[in-house]
Amino acid sequence: MIKIPDIPESVVVRHGAKAWPLALAGAGLLMTGSLLSWSGDPQVLGDLSISFNPGGLQIQALALALLAVVLLLAHKGPLTSLGQWADTALGLRALATWALLFMVMVVVAITIEAGGLINIDPGGWISLLGAVLLFAAARLVLPRETRDPAEAHLPGWSEILVIVVLMAAILFGTAYALGLTDAWEFVLFLVFVTGVVIAGIRAGLLSWLGHVTPRHRHVLTLAAFAAAFFFPFTQNGSDANMSIASQILIFGAAAMSLNIVVGLAGLLDLGYIAFLGAGAYVGATLSTSAFATIGWNPPFFVVVLLGACVSGTLGLIIGTPTLRVSGDYLAIVTLGFGEIFRLSMFNLDGNNGPDLTHGPNGIPAIPDLAFGSFNFGDTHNVLGIPLARFSNYYFLLLVVIAFIILVFSRLNNSRIGRGWVAIREDEKAAEAMGVNVFGLKILAFVVGAFLAGMAGTIKAHQDVSVTPDQYIFLESAFLLAAIVLGGMGTVAGVMIGAVILKLLPEKLRFFSDYRLLLFGLLLVLMMRFRPEGLVASKRRQLEFHEEDEGLAVRVEGEFAEEVKP
Amino acid sequence: MDIFVQQLVNGLTLGSLYALIAVGYTVVYGILQLINFAHGEVFMIGAFGALTTSLVLFRGQTSLWILPFMIIGAVIASVVTAVLMERFAYRPLRNAPRLAPLITAIGISVFLQEIVRLNYDHVPFTSWNPFDLPDAKSLIPFPQIDVVTGPAFQVGGVTIQRAAIFTIGALLMCSAVLWYFINRTKMGRGMQAVSQDPDTARLMGINVDRVIVVAFMLGAILAGIAGVAQGLQNNNIDFRMGFLAGLKAFTAAVLGGIGNVAGAVVGGLVLGIVEAMATQYIPGQFGGSPWKDVWAFVMLILVLVFRPEGLLGAKAVDRA
Repeated sequence: MIKIPDIPESVVVRHGAKAWPLALAGAGLLMTGSLLSWSGDPQVLGDLSISFNPGGLQIQALALALLAVVLLLAHKGPLTSLGQWADTALGLRALATWALLFMVMVVVAITIEAGGLINIDPGGWISLLGAVLLFAAARLVLPRETRDPAEAHLPGWSEILVIVVLMAAILFGTAYALGLTDAWEFVLFLVFVTGVVIAGIRAGLLSWLGHVTPRHRHVLTLAAFAAAFFFPFTQNGSDANMSIASQILIFGAAAMSLNIVVGLAGLLDLGYIAFLGAGAYVGATLSTSAFATIGWNPPFFVVVLLGACVSGTLGLIIGTPTLRVSGDYLAIVTLGFGEIFRLSMFNLDGNNGPDLTHGPNGIPAIPDLAFGSFNFGDTHNVLGIPLARFSNYYFLLLVVIAFIILVFSRLNNSRIGRGWVAIREDEKAAEAMGVNVFGLKILAFVVGAFLAGMAGTIKAHQDVSVTPDQYIFLESAFLLAAIVLGGMGTVAGVMIGAVILKLLPEKLRFFSDYRLLLFGLLLVLMMRFRPEGLVASKRRQLEFHEEDEGLAVRVEGEFAEEVKP
Repeated sequence: MDIFVQQLVNGLTLGSLYALIAVGYTVVYGILQLINFAHGEVFMIGAFGALTTSLVLFRGQTSLWILPFMIIGAVIASVVTAVLMERFAYRPLRNAPRLAPLITAIGISVFLQEIVRLNYDHVPFTSWNPFDLPDAKSLIPFPQIDVVTGPAFQVGGVTIQRAAIFTIGALLMCSAVLWYFINRTKMGRGMQAVSQDPDTARLMGINVDRVIVVAFMLGAILAGIAGVAQGLQNNNIDFRMGFLAGLKAFTAAVLGGIGNVAGAVVGGLVLGIVEAMATQYIPGQFGGSPWKDVWAFVMLILVLVFRPEGLLGAKAVDRA
């Protein structure tokens, strides 16, 4: 992490008064520049060459400047009544830093893509100057007293409105990001989003959201699903992004199932992909594919149940003996099982054992699902918008993932879930308190495997073919990484983790050779700097930061509140 | 009978390799109670260190005097890797929950494999540029050395590869040196003290941080030598070779009793012999070499579940 040194106090005191107008001027310059042409070459970064017709990146710069102005007005000006809840000075600093980074990257990108600094028009320089000014001035703006956002009570409808607007922003942001084909544009958009989010965190808006969302949990869930539901309608029938999106959902479904095992019960499983694979192989062998080895084609919902049951039984078989061990040993035992599964699927080709899986060739040509006359392979028109093959699977998977999340959260809030958490925290204490440790551990394994198997049967049809090399150890590591990255035991965190881990490699094609390298580095850095994950429950955070006393007091207070009603 | 002796020899060779790697797991575990899951990659880096030394300095030569240089190159590569890994990834996590180092180790594993894969990406390596390294996406031929590789010896009806003799010899020599180091030198006794009680050892004036680094180095030296042995034996290496070898060596370490250095050697040899015998004597469709890794994993699971304290007794057993 690069730490920008603080400005000496004497300078702040002497020039503090000038900071506010200077920052406003900086934001104004950034805006003015963004309305003008940035680059003489219309070929680079979308078209940034026409004055008063801003391209995508210029609109992002405008948005950054506008946010800065809002923060400034909230700091000292007409919006002060709103600003008293937020730490505007810190938010402004973060925003200005990221705006500067954004503009510098734009200049670098134009220089590289168009070949030389000469291609940057005056508009680009004005925006850069504005960003520099904003950055310098923001560091001089003095923080002031703020009130705890937890005490802010807006009318209920406005809080719901904020949630809905936020979800809509996420929906259109994702659709926009997926539509970007240029790697530079994509990276710059990521910088823009990161800047806005970090400014929000620094200003305390996110902690306000943290207080608002529990009050409207159902609205939030509903809005999130609505956003996910409407996503295919933003794609105009293009299937390229829907393919990625449905891959993400499969991955997310498996990660959510693993989250029950790892996140709730604290049982580390490094061979989890085998359960997804078991479901997929059941789905494939019972399909009408010409290469299927079992000549029985039951209706699909029977296959789903069978796949889930086979996978769950496998979980039971693996779980019963292995749960005698714990910690690192359990991780390695499960890794062993994962490898045994893959090697067995690889070997069962008729030469070495019965012909069940066609060995390394796998089972190809699995036909699309069809419910009655609704074939998943066809393009269907809904309200004039064509929805192609992957969109159909996407909707089905959305239902599946909703079911998995439902199971997860219902279990989490039940006696069983509390038993799991107790086992995770201290097994011996839990046992002494009468928690059925062995039974609950097995249950976690079986439920997790069952859900993953269910998702696997759909994966078989969606991927068209099933081969052993889809279920290597690295995939299990990816699943675990999604959970660790997002935040163990949380729903939102794990879904975000799944999206990041599947989406970034797809969009950052020019990194494709380095993506595993970056993945490894990301795991190491994550464990070093934020082991509790991006979205962490407070309890979990405390586990990793035992020395943080303020956090301990807050968590204690929260539990006291939880127990009261 | 010949077949049995032949498999015994094969098993001993394989087992010596496992034993050399297993020592690295056991030494680190004994001191830190940490499973250095990335140790298999240290072994792989050792093999590539030897290959690089031979390609850059002695391209195309096969004389015996190159072998010591290759071993030195392997050891330097793996020791540097292990020390950097300890310093920058594991040390900051000393007091973290146990999940953190395990995930870090997976990260390091992937990272190291990719580093090697990306740096050895030119096909083929026929040009005279010393840094034109071969493609690691496929198997890379390992340099052949006179005397150590070449036609096998026939003793009665049993074939003994020259590289097998090198591997077993390397294990014997390393065990002797290791025994001397741990029991007769100041640093070795310091290691024993830290593994018994780190806090008291610190109070007695032992530099615990240095002991930990030395433990990582010891494991890395042996893994580097194992890397050379593996290359000579199989004639080729690739960037994925550390994963399976590392897992099996870990099994060997647990089998012998993790944290117990003599146990690692015994466990390695036992595992190697069992694997060779299983390949030969398990009848029917589930025998033979396609299933040998499956049986190795079955053994791993059985050992971890039913005898986590190992054959010779472990220092600390991680068990519910």
